[in-house]
Amino acid sequence: MIEFKNVTKGYEKNKSEALKNVSLFIDKGEFVFLVGRSGAGKSTFIKLLLREIEATEGSVFINNFNVSKLSKKEIPFLRRKMGIVFQDFRLLENKSVYENVAYAMEIIGKSEKQIRKRVPLALDMVGLSHRMNHYPHELSGGEQQRVVIARAIINNPSILICDEPTGNLDPETSYEIISILEEINRRGTTIVVVTHDREIVDTMKKRVLTLEDGVLKVDDATGRYGYEV
Amino acid sequence: MKFSSIKTMPKNVIRDTMKSIERNNLMSIASVLSVIAALIILGIFLILTINVQEVTKDVESKLELKIFLQENFTDTQKETIQQALEKSDLIENVTFESSAEALDNFKSSLEDYAPLLNGYNSENNPMPASFIVRVTDPKDMEDVQTLAMSFKDQGVEYVRYGQEYVEALVSFNKFTNTLSIVVLAVLSMISIFIIYNTIKLTVFARRREIGIMKYVGATNAYIRAPFILEGTLLGLIGAIVAFLIIRITYYYILGLVGGNLFLPVDASLASPNAVMGQLIFFFLIYGGFIGAIGSVFAIRKFLDV
Repeated sequence: MIEFKNVTKGYEKNKSEALKNVSLFIDKGEFVFLVGRSGAGKSTFIKLLLREIEATEGSVFINNFNVSKLSKKEIPFLRRKMGIVFQDFRLLENKSVYENVAYAMEIIGKSEKQIRKRVPLALDMVGLSHRMNHYPHELSGGEQQRVVIARAIINNPSILICDEPTGNLDPETSYEIISILEEINRRGTTIVVVTHDREIVDTMKKRVLTLEDGVLKVDDATGRYGYEV
Repeated sequence: MKFSSIKTMPKNVIRDTMKSIERNNLMSIASVLSVIAALIILGIFLILTINVQEVTKDVESKLELKIFLQENFTDTQKETIQQALEKSDLIENVTFESSAEALDNFKSSLEDYAPLLNGYNSENNPMPASFIVRVTDPKDMEDVQTLAMSFKDQGVEYVRYGQEYVEALVSFNKFTNTLSIVVLAVLSMISIFIIYNTIKLTVFARRREIGIMKYVGATNAYIRAPFILEGTLLGLIGAIVAFLIIRITYYYILGLVGGNLFLPVDASLASPNAVMGQLIFFFLIYGGFIGAIGSVFAIRKFLDV
C-alpha cells in the first residue's frame, strides 16, 4: 500500500518544485505504471518512497506507516519491505549470480540454511537456475535484469519498485521482464514500474499514473500512455 | 540490529574485511607502517615516563623528615609530640632516635673514619635527639613540617627535609608527563589521519556496494562494521609490530647498560617486565582505538544515502 497525501518536494528555494501537491493511492497487490518525461518528477517519486529524500510538504505512507516520520535508524527496515530494480542493474561484478542474490539475504542477517533454500527458488522463478554460478559480465542484459529482480524479491517485499527496468533492453527481452513482473504481481506483491516504454504500457492495460512537471496529470485505471510524445 | 543479523554477521564481515585489506595492500601496509612509527616514538616516551615515575616514587619513599628536639626536652614533651605525630594521617611511621643512638649511627656511617668521633661520649654528645618521620605521601612533607613546627616551643628545635630535591623530582615528573601527552596528541592525529585516508580509499572502492547495501536495507552498523574492523585491525597489527620492536630494543639496551643506570640517585628503574606489560596493554588499546576512529570518520560521508 502506497499513499501520497498532498506531497510537494522542492530541492532549492526559488526553483520550481519537482513534485507539486501530489496525492495518490496504490492498493496492495496493484500493478501500476508511472510515466512522464524526463524531469517530470519520477525519480523524486521513487526517492521519496525509499526515504532517500524527505517531502517538503505532505506525507508519504507505505503499508500505513508514515515514511516522513521515520527516524534514520528505521529507514533500513522500511527498505526491507521494498524490492528495487534499477535500470543499470547494480550487480556486484565480483560476485556470482547466486552470491549476488544471497547477498541481499546476508545483509539482513538471514541464516545460511535459509539462504541455501530460498536463493535457488528465486532464481528458478526468473528462469536463471542454469546460470547460478556465472558472473554478471557473462550474462546478457536481460539475464542481468532477471538477477536483479531475483535479488529484489528474495526477502519477500510487499512492494516492488522498478526504475526503468526495460530501459536498456530490446523489446523482446523487455516483454520477458515484464511478464516476470506480472507473475510476481500475481503472487500478491504490489508493483510500481516507472518507465518510458510506451508500447509496453499500452499493451499491458494496467493502471497508469502520468506526471507532468511535477503534477499528477492523469490517473487512468485501464492503461493508456498518458501524454503524447 | 536484530539478534539474527548479529549471529551471521561476523563471518561475512571478516570475509569482506580480509578481501579489502588484500585489495588495498599497499595503502594498508603504509598505514600499518605509520602506526608502527607513531607507536615506537610514543613507546619511547612512555617508557621514559614510566621509569621517571618509578624513580620518583622510589626516591620519594626513601625521603624522610627529621624533627630535631631541643637539647633540654622533657619526657612529657617527647610523649606529646610523638602522640601528635602518630595520630596524624599524613604520617606512615615515626621512629625516635635518642642523641646516644644518633651518635652511634653517625659513627657507623663514617665506617673507617669513626675514630674521628672518639672524643665524644654521653657527657658531651653534640648530636640532638630527633624523630625520623616517613610520610604517607611525599607531597604532604610541608604539612608535616608545619605540624611539627607547631611544637616549636614545646620541645621541637627545627625540622629538616630534602625540600628542593622533592620539588625538583616532582616537577621533572610533571614535565615528562606533559611531554608524553603532547607527543601522544600529535602522533594520534597523524595516525588517525593516515588510517582515515586508507579506509576512505577502501570505502571509495566499495561505494557501489555500499549503495546497493543501503537499498537492500542494510543497517548503518552492518555497513560500517567491516570498515571499522579493517581500521582496527590495521591499528592492532601496527601496535603488535611496534611493541615487538620496542621490546627487543629495550632489553638489548638494558643488557648493554647492565645494572649501571648513570643515575645521580640511589633508585632503581621500573622492572622491564612490568614496563612491557603496561606498554602492550596501552598499545593494543591505542592501536585499535585510532584505527576505529579513523574508519568512523572515513565512512561517515558515504552512509548518507
